[in-house]
Amino acid sequence: MTRTQQIGFAFRALRRDLAAGELRVLALALVVAVASVTAVGFFTDRVGRAVQQQAADVLAADLLASSGTPVRDEWLQEAQDRGLETALHTRFPSVVINDDDESQLVAVKAVSDAYPLRGTLTLASLDAPDTAANLDAPELGTAWIDPQLKDILQLSQGDTLALGTKDFTVERIITFEPDAGENFMDLSPRVMIHVDDLPGSELLVEGSRAVYSLLMAGDNAAVDGMSQWFSDNYATEARVQGVRDGGPQLQRALDRAETFLGLASVVTVLLAGAAIALAVRHFAFKQADASAVLRTLGASRQDVIVWLIIRLALVAIIASAIGVTVGWLAQLVLADLLSTWFSLALPAPGIQPPIVGTLTAFITLAGFGLLPVIKAGQVPVMRVLQRDYSGLQTSSVVTTVLALLATFLVVWLLSGNVLLSAIVVIGVVAMLAVFAVFGKYLIRAVRVLAGARFRLSVAGLERRAASSVVQLSAFAMGIMALLLIAIVRVDILTAWEQDLPDDAPNVFVVNIQRDQVPGFSERLIEQGIESNGFFPMVRGRMAAHNGVPIVQEVMSERDERRARREYNLTYADTLPAANEIVAGEWWAEGTTEAFLSVEREWAEEFNYVVGDTMTFRIAGVETTGVIKNLREVDWESFQVNFFVVASSAMLQEFPQTFVSSFYLDGDFSQNTSAWAREFPGIATLDIGAIVTRIKTLMDRASLAVEYVFFFTLLAGTCVLLAAVQSSQNERIRESALLRALGASHQQVRQAVVAEFAILGLIAGFLAALFATGIAWALSREVFELPFTVNPSLWLFGVVGGAVGISIAGYLATRSVLHTPPIIALRNST
Amino acid sequence: MNEPAIDLSAAPTPDVAPLIASDVVKRVTGPGGEMTLLHGVSMQANAGEAVAIVGPSGSGKSTLLGILAGLDAPTEGEVTLQGQPLSQLDEDGRARLRAEYVGFVFQSFQLLPGLSALENVMLPLELTQQQNVKERALAALDEVGLSERAGHHPLQLSGGEQQRVAVARAFVSKPKLLFADEPTGNLDSATGDRVAELMFELRKSSNAALVLVTHDDDLAATCDRRFRMADGRLNEL
Repeated sequence: MTRTQQIGFAFRALRRDLAAGELRVLALALVVAVASVTAVGFFTDRVGRAVQQQAADVLAADLLASSGTPVRDEWLQEAQDRGLETALHTRFPSVVINDDDESQLVAVKAVSDAYPLRGTLTLASLDAPDTAANLDAPELGTAWIDPQLKDILQLSQGDTLALGTKDFTVERIITFEPDAGENFMDLSPRVMIHVDDLPGSELLVEGSRAVYSLLMAGDNAAVDGMSQWFSDNYATEARVQGVRDGGPQLQRALDRAETFLGLASVVTVLLAGAAIALAVRHFAFKQADASAVLRTLGASRQDVIVWLIIRLALVAIIASAIGVTVGWLAQLVLADLLSTWFSLALPAPGIQPPIVGTLTAFITLAGFGLLPVIKAGQVPVMRVLQRDYSGLQTSSVVTTVLALLATFLVVWLLSGNVLLSAIVVIGVVAMLAVFAVFGKYLIRAVRVLAGARFRLSVAGLERRAASSVVQLSAFAMGIMALLLIAIVRVDILTAWEQDLPDDAPNVFVVNIQRDQVPGFSERLIEQGIESNGFFPMVRGRMAAHNGVPIVQEVMSERDERRARREYNLTYADTLPAANEIVAGEWWAEGTTEAFLSVEREWAEEFNYVVGDTMTFRIAGVETTGVIKNLREVDWESFQVNFFVVASSAMLQEFPQTFVSSFYLDGDFSQNTSAWAREFPGIATLDIGAIVTRIKTLMDRASLAVEYVFFFTLLAGTCVLLAAVQSSQNERIRESALLRALGASHQQVRQAVVAEFAILGLIAGFLAALFATGIAWALSREVFELPFTVNPSLWLFGVVGGAVGISIAGYLATRSVLHTPPIIALRNST
Repeated sequence: MNEPAIDLSAAPTPDVAPLIASDVVKRVTGPGGEMTLLHGVSMQANAGEAVAIVGPSGSGKSTLLGILAGLDAPTEGEVTLQGQPLSQLDEDGRARLRAEYVGFVFQSFQLLPGLSALENVMLPLELTQQQNVKERALAALDEVGLSERAGHHPLQLSGGEQQRVAVARAFVSKPKLLFADEPTGNLDSATGDRVAELMFELRKSSNAALVLVTHDDDLAATCDRRFRMADGRLNEL
C-alpha cells in the first residue's frame, strides 16, 4: 500500500470510528485539553500582561533608574537607541512660601513632559475639586500640589508659591499620583513642577539631597535588555527598579496571582492528560482484536500501526482545531467579563497559546498512546482463532517511562521550569503509587466489611484488580481536582483577601508629639475611629556597622544612599503584631541593654546578621545596639511597620514623635484639615488609593483564577468519563453474563451501582486526604497563608465521590442493562 | 511500504498444490514445562479440493489451522502456500501472501464492529489495492443474499447474517485457499446448513481449495477428504 492509500484508508476508518463512537471520549478529552490550555494560555497571557501594566503604573514606568547625581546623557541615549520611551523626574525636599509668608516643608517632584509613562495622573482644579482633569506635566512656571498642602497653606486657584528663587502659580490639585506609593513614607506634601524650571531656580546645589530618575517604558525584551545594561555598566551608580520591584505589597500580590494561574493551568493539563491516557488506552484495547483480524486478512504489522497512528494524529489535528477555537471563544468571553474590572483594555492575545495547546495534545497523545497503539498492532494473529492468545499488554517499564516523559515535557512546556516539572512528575508518581497501594488494601478491607450483600460488586473490583486500581486512581485524581477547585480554592482565596481586610488602614498620621497623643487618641475614639496604636518614632542616620564607620572617602552609590538616608526607628518591649522572628530571639521585657530587631530582607541586603552591632546618630548623639533577632514583616497588612526596632532602653530618651494608622471611612481632606488645626504639626497621609489598588488587583486576580479553574473542572469531569468508559466493556460482558445466569435487571443494576459507589467512596476518601495535604502545602509553602482543615472537604469527597461516581457509572452502563444479554455477549467476544 | 522479502509473483504456479504441510511439529512452553501440541503433521490440499479436519476439543485442530494459514510458525517442519515455503517469510511476508491467496471464515465471525457489512467485505480488496472495490464487494454480498443489508453494522445483523458477510469477505478476493474454523459452530443447524452450502458453492465456482475444521460429522462428510486429529497427530480417514 502506498502512503496516500494508507492515509485514505485511515481517513475512512476514522470516519467510521467517529460515527461508531469509538473515538468520541478520546476526541472529547483532547478538545478539553487543547481548549483549556489555549484558553488558560490566552487568558493568563492577557491578564498577566494587564496586571503587569497595572503594576507598572505604580512606577509610572516599566523601568526606573535612579541616582544621586543627574541622569547621564548616555543613559537617555541608550534607552532611546533601544526603542524605549523615556521621561525624567527629580525629587528632593524643599520649602515653599505662600503669599502670606507662611512656609512648609514639601517634597518636590520636577517632571518632564512625557511623565508618567505608565498610569495616569489625575488632577482637579482647586476651586472645583470634583472635576477631574488629566494632563501630562505642569507647564513652565506652574505648580501642582496635593490637597494636604492646599489645606495647610490655605491656597486657592492662581495663588503664588515661592520655591527657590522662582515663583510658581498654583494650577491644579493632584488627586491621584500613580507612583506616589513608591516612597509613601516620604511624608511631606507633594509639589510638582516642570523639570525645565529647575535650572536657574537654585533649588539644586551641590550636596542637595535629590534623587534623579530616568523612567523608561517599552516592550519586555527591550526593558529587560536595558535593565541588564544598567547592572553591567552602572551597578553601583544607578538603583534600577522594574515592575517586579514595585514595592513589597504589590510584588507579593503579583507573585501570588501568577502562582495561582500557573498552578491552575498545570493541574488542568495533568487532568486532561490523564483523561487522554485512559481514553487512548481504551482505544488501543478495542483496536487490538481488529488489528489481529486485519493482519489475518493480509495487512502487514506496519500497515496496521501506521493506520492507527494516522487515525490518532487525525483525531489530534481535528480536536486541536476545535480546541483552539473553543479556547479562543472562551477567553473572549472571559476577557470581556474582566475588561470591566480592569481600568485599561486587555492586551491582544498572543500567538503562543494555540501552538502550546496543540503541542500539548500531540505530546500527551504520543506519550500515553504511542506504545499501546504499537502494541495493539502487534497482538498475536492467532488471537482470531484462540482467545487464550494474549491480548494487549501495556504494563511495561517503557510505557511508564514514556508517559512520565510526556508529563514532564508538557509541564515544562507550560511552566518553562525544569525543577517544577521534575517535582510534578515525582509528585504524580508518588500520588499514583499511594492510590494504587492504598486502593488495593482498601478494596480488600471493603470486601471483608461488605459481607454477602455486596460480595458480587467487591468481587468484581478484586477480579479486575489492575483496571480497578487504574480507575480508582483516575477517580481519585478527578475528585481531588474537583475538591481543590470547589473548596480549597475558595479557602485560599478567602484567606488571601482576609490578609488585606476591608478595614485595612488607609490613613497614616505622623509627627504626633508625645503630649498630643492622649488628645488625638481621644479625638479618634470620639469619631468612632479605631486606631492600631501609637508607635514612637525616632529619626536617625546609620553611622557604623560593627564599629566600622559607614561614611568613607570612597563610597559606592549604595553605601552613600545608606549613609544619607534618615531611618525611622521605633522601640518596643514586645514583638509587634504581624511580625515573626526568623532568627535569634526577642529580648526580655524591661531589659536595660541596647538591642535591635531588624527586618530580614533589609538585613540580607546589607549582609547584617544576628550579633552584629549597628550605630545610629540621632540628634547628634551616637548610640549602638546589638542585633538580637531578624523579623519577617507582613507588609501586605499595611500596619505601621519598621525596618529597625530597638529595645526601649536604647531609644526612649531620644527626641521622638509618634505615628499611628487607622481605617477612615469618611472624607479624608475634611478630617485632616480639622485635625491639623486642633493638633498643630501632625501630618496625615492618605494611602487609601494604594490599598484600593492592591485590593482590586487581588480581586481581579482571584476572579481570573476562578474562571481558569472552570477548565480544570471540565478536565476533571473528562477524567471521570474516561475512567468509567475504560471498564465499560468488561462490565457489559459481566452484566450480560449475570443476566444470562438469571439475575434480574434490578440485581444487575444494583451490583453495578454498588461497585461504582464503593470505588467512588474509596476514591473520595483518598482524594480528600490528598486535597487536604495539597491545600496545607499550598497555603503554607506557596501562598504563605494560614491553613485550616475544612471538614466539608471530607463530606463532599467521600459522600460526593460515592454518589457522583455511582450516578456516572450507572449512566455509562445503562445502555448495557437494556441490551439483550445475547447481543451483549456476542459482541464482547 | 517495504517491498516483499520474497518475489511472490514468481513463486505460485498453477500446477502446485495450494497447501502442503510436511512434518509440522509445534511445541510450547507452559507453566507445566514443555508440551508438544503437534507431532509431525503432514497433509496436502489440492486446487478445488475440500479437506475436513475433525477431532475432539483440545486435540490441536485450531493450532494446526493457525500454522497452515501462516498465523503462527511451526517449531519444526514446513508449510508451503501456493509453492511458497512459509519459513522463508517473515510475518509481514506471510500477511502479504494471505492477502493475495487466502480467505478465512471464523467460528466467531470476526467482523470489525465499527464497519458496515459492505465495508467489512471491501477490506481485503482495499488491502490489495484492487479496482472497483465497492462494486465487487456489493456483488459478493449479493451472492450471499445480503446486498440489501450492505449498510448494516454487525451489531444489527443476526449470527447467520454475520457469518454470511464473513463468507462474502472470504471469497471477495477470489482466494486460492480458504480456511474455515468451525464456520457453523455458533449457528443453529438450519442457518449452519445454509452457510455451509454457500461456502461450498462459492468454493466450486472459484476452484479454491477448502480446509475446514469442524466438529460436525455431517459437514465433514460433504468434503472430498477427511482427517482426524487426536493428541496432536493427524490421520486420514
